[in-house]
Amino acid sequence: MKPGYQIPRTALIWILLSVILVVLPQRTHIQLWILLIAFLCVAWRALIYSGKLNYPGRLVRILVVLFTVGVTISQTRNIGLGLESAAGLLTLGFVFKLIEMRQKRDVYVVISLCFVMTMLAFLYSQSILTTLYIILAIMVITGAMIAVNRSSLISDNFGTGRLAVKIILQALPLTVALFVVFPRIAPLWAVPIQSAVSTTGVSDEMSPGDISQLGRSSALAFRVQFENILPPLHQDLYWRGLVLDDFDGETWRRTRASSAYSNALALADFQSERDDRVLTSGNPLNYNVILEPTQQPWVYGLHLAESQTGGLFQSRNFELFNDDLITQRFSYDLRSFANNQTDLVLTDRIRNRNTRIPDAGNPRSREFARELRATVNTDRDFAYTVLAHFQQNEYFYTLSPALLGSNKVDDFLFTTLEGFCEHYASSFAFLMRSVGIPARVVVGYQGAEYNRFENYLMVYQYNAHAWTEIWLEGEGWVRFDPTAAVSPERVELGVEQALRDDPAFLEDALLSAMRRENFSWLNSVRLRLDALEYAWNRRVVNYDQDVQLEFFQRLLGEVTEQKGLILLAAVASIVILAIGFTIIRIEPRSKQEPLIKFYLKLCKELGKIQLQRAPGEGPIAYRNRVCAARPELRESMDALTELYIKLSYGENSPGEQQLKAELKNFNRLLNRLKLSLSPLARLNQRG
Amino acid sequence: MLSINIKNQSDAQANFVDNQLSRQVQSAVDEVGKALLGKDHQIRLALCCLFSGGHLLIEDLPGMGKTTLSYALAKALGLGYNRIQFTSDLLPADILGISIFDQNSGQFSFHPGPIFNQLVLADEINRTTPKTQSALLEAMEERQVTIEGETRQLPEPFFVIATQNPSTLAGTYPLPESQLDRFLMRLRLGYPDQRAERELLEMNTERDKLEGVEQCLSVEDVTELRKQSSKVKASSALLDYVQRLINFTRGKDEFHFGISPRGSLAIMRAAKTWALMCGRNHVVPEDVQAILPAVVEHRLRATTDDDGHTGASLVQRLLNEVDVVD
Repeated sequence: MKPGYQIPRTALIWILLSVILVVLPQRTHIQLWILLIAFLCVAWRALIYSGKLNYPGRLVRILVVLFTVGVTISQTRNIGLGLESAAGLLTLGFVFKLIEMRQKRDVYVVISLCFVMTMLAFLYSQSILTTLYIILAIMVITGAMIAVNRSSLISDNFGTGRLAVKIILQALPLTVALFVVFPRIAPLWAVPIQSAVSTTGVSDEMSPGDISQLGRSSALAFRVQFENILPPLHQDLYWRGLVLDDFDGETWRRTRASSAYSNALALADFQSERDDRVLTSGNPLNYNVILEPTQQPWVYGLHLAESQTGGLFQSRNFELFNDDLITQRFSYDLRSFANNQTDLVLTDRIRNRNTRIPDAGNPRSREFARELRATVNTDRDFAYTVLAHFQQNEYFYTLSPALLGSNKVDDFLFTTLEGFCEHYASSFAFLMRSVGIPARVVVGYQGAEYNRFENYLMVYQYNAHAWTEIWLEGEGWVRFDPTAAVSPERVELGVEQALRDDPAFLEDALLSAMRRENFSWLNSVRLRLDALEYAWNRRVVNYDQDVQLEFFQRLLGEVTEQKGLILLAAVASIVILAIGFTIIRIEPRSKQEPLIKFYLKLCKELGKIQLQRAPGEGPIAYRNRVCAARPELRESMDALTELYIKLSYGENSPGEQQLKAELKNFNRLLNRLKLSLSPLARLNQRG
Repeated sequence: MLSINIKNQSDAQANFVDNQLSRQVQSAVDEVGKALLGKDHQIRLALCCLFSGGHLLIEDLPGMGKTTLSYALAKALGLGYNRIQFTSDLLPADILGISIFDQNSGQFSFHPGPIFNQLVLADEINRTTPKTQSALLEAMEERQVTIEGETRQLPEPFFVIATQNPSTLAGTYPLPESQLDRFLMRLRLGYPDQRAERELLEMNTERDKLEGVEQCLSVEDVTELRKQSSKVKASSALLDYVQRLINFTRGKDEFHFGISPRGSLAIMRAAKTWALMCGRNHVVPEDVQAILPAVVEHRLRATTDDDGHTGASLVQRLLNEVDVVD
């Protein structure tokens, strides 16, 4: 290999720093050992510079290629062809390129790859923090580009950084403008994101203990903003997720058939049927939900929410489903009504399904329900009696209940008397079903935290909740929340208040202790940060084709294709003008004095015969050089140079009149010189 | 790089105007040239420095003729001169003079030191301690010395020609930038060319040649030249060029520091004298280019400089990259 180019030390520092910065966001998505290889390569490159290691030889490079191919194949086998394996492959290739980087060309390849890697980071997260981090990374990469192009004599890292920041800041307005006006084009292809990431949120099965697990998590589930109105009261905030209507004595499950439509006809059936099944009254509530990724297809909303967003559909039990898994933060608009009734008439099939309990097990509970039912007249009264039972006896609402034996309902109701919402919902529904009242468990979230800074609600995983719906003659499905009977604070004030003395509540979360201790300023900071994130999600991440169209409609009225094109052209021309203006400013052609213009003309003429004046060449030196090369020009060169020196540097600066006359003279001499340089004149000379 | 510089030397002389003054200067150059063979350009620069009223620093390896040049200059200009050999144990009093108690009169009487001369040859100035160096350098700037509370004027004209060995040699105390700045020019002699070397070898010893140097200019001539040089015209086009040169050195990463206003004044002063020595009453860019290396080399320094000798390449950049006509 030729030696020659040596990457400047400061440039190498910048490059290695950018590599580390762009590889770091991958840490949660690629295997740890790939990350380890990445850092080994960075260290290797640094050691190559300090002379402790050599560039990889041919054998090593072949092995590395084979290794990468092998890893790719095995990754594709194990986790499938998709983003994760592609990211791993890209990262490996990227860091291996780093260790064989020695020419300037290689440096540019690595820097370009750095930019690609920053885009990769956006595939995983588009949060405001990620964005700030990526902007930082881009600044560092720009710094690397600057450092590579600076002379190796300069080790002024601070100056390089400052220039990079300046460049990025200059680019920001343009970025914002392009972000706003650039047409959003639907992707031609989509990378499947692997579901290797564990699912979060409520699942479609519920056994005792499931939801109390969620109750320990302070992760955000979703954010809700109500349009133009204050959100409903806390106790009305039941975010309905799934309806579980199949009970096997221990676990509640969804009946699959209730969401899947066998064909389009069935869906149409459901939609026409829906109007018969639903009675709504009161004012509609319009709201927007931004759901954090759950890796599940279902989404949450208040009861009987109609979707205003494409891609969402309702199941027969009025659950909401998305076409696909929610792998990215997902925003949707819903409309609900404050008062509604569903299914005033129940078909036998549905009734059967919602009263079915296992033939055996939990005998005491069955007996208890039967006895209690005999003391009251109506199903409604029976439900209230059971709630009263929970309220009057020593039932506890706790995140860490005692373990239950084989007859779970019996054990809970009569022995341990302590449980989380799923215990109450499950046993309540069981009691209802054992006397033939249609009952089902609903899982979702209850409650929310209000963020006054951006006027929206935050629902956390610990808001996860389970309650029941029972069907009453003449009323349809009615929501009963047995937890509210045991712990009214849970529903009215929120889980934080209800469990404030439970040590298991949020035991892992850092902020929780402070939250409970009422550090008001810290809480305010937390809310403000979340508000910022929310605003970012709504206004930036959510800025898709529809929002863009809406934005321009508000701005310009009806958006026609013509208007769009004009707008785009306007922005493009502004950009081009700005660039042009910058170039003009960098290379200002000041108003030259006529004399200098004439002299430069002379230099240009002579440039045509390869006698261009060097910048540092004075007029006398230039004349001498020209005369040495072309003796036949001596006469006119002498005259011209003498005139130029007299006018430009002479003892007496010429007056305006004199200058004009002399310039004419100069021009005449110049023309004569030009003539003698012309090919015709040369021919004559030879002739 | 270097070729342009060398070419500039001949170009500047090519624009020579024959008149009484330029002939006078030429004779002085020839006279000094008897002692230092083949170094006409350096001699001319040295004369230019003295005619501009500036002090001269000659730097080169031992045995290159530094001291010979300074002696020959002193003789040709007919100046009263004294030589101080700087050593590491030289004290300020050895240069400036000292008051000695006179037993007979019972009073202190002042014995002036070698500095009280029109031309002081400070030989190997960087071999003495900074304390002694600064005693000389203060005198250079103020043209007066203060000894025991009494200020004494130095004779007029007052020149210092200092010689020094490159600071890379053993036993040297490099002059700091602030003191280098006091010298109008720093010259380097370089090896003689083939012909001069041969001529040198054919002669007996170097010192013999000094005998042949005759005085050809008087102190009055020198004063007159100094007076005239300030009247030389520098047109706005030329000032533009000088400003471009200066701006080029400022605010660039390659330059550790730019040319100071004192430095830019020095350029103008030397360029005017040079033009005058060529018999002209106006400065042309070639004059500036001729004196530029000697005037600014020691005032410039690259960012990555360890021994203060990166100025030369930076000056070449100035000469090559700054457009004369713009």
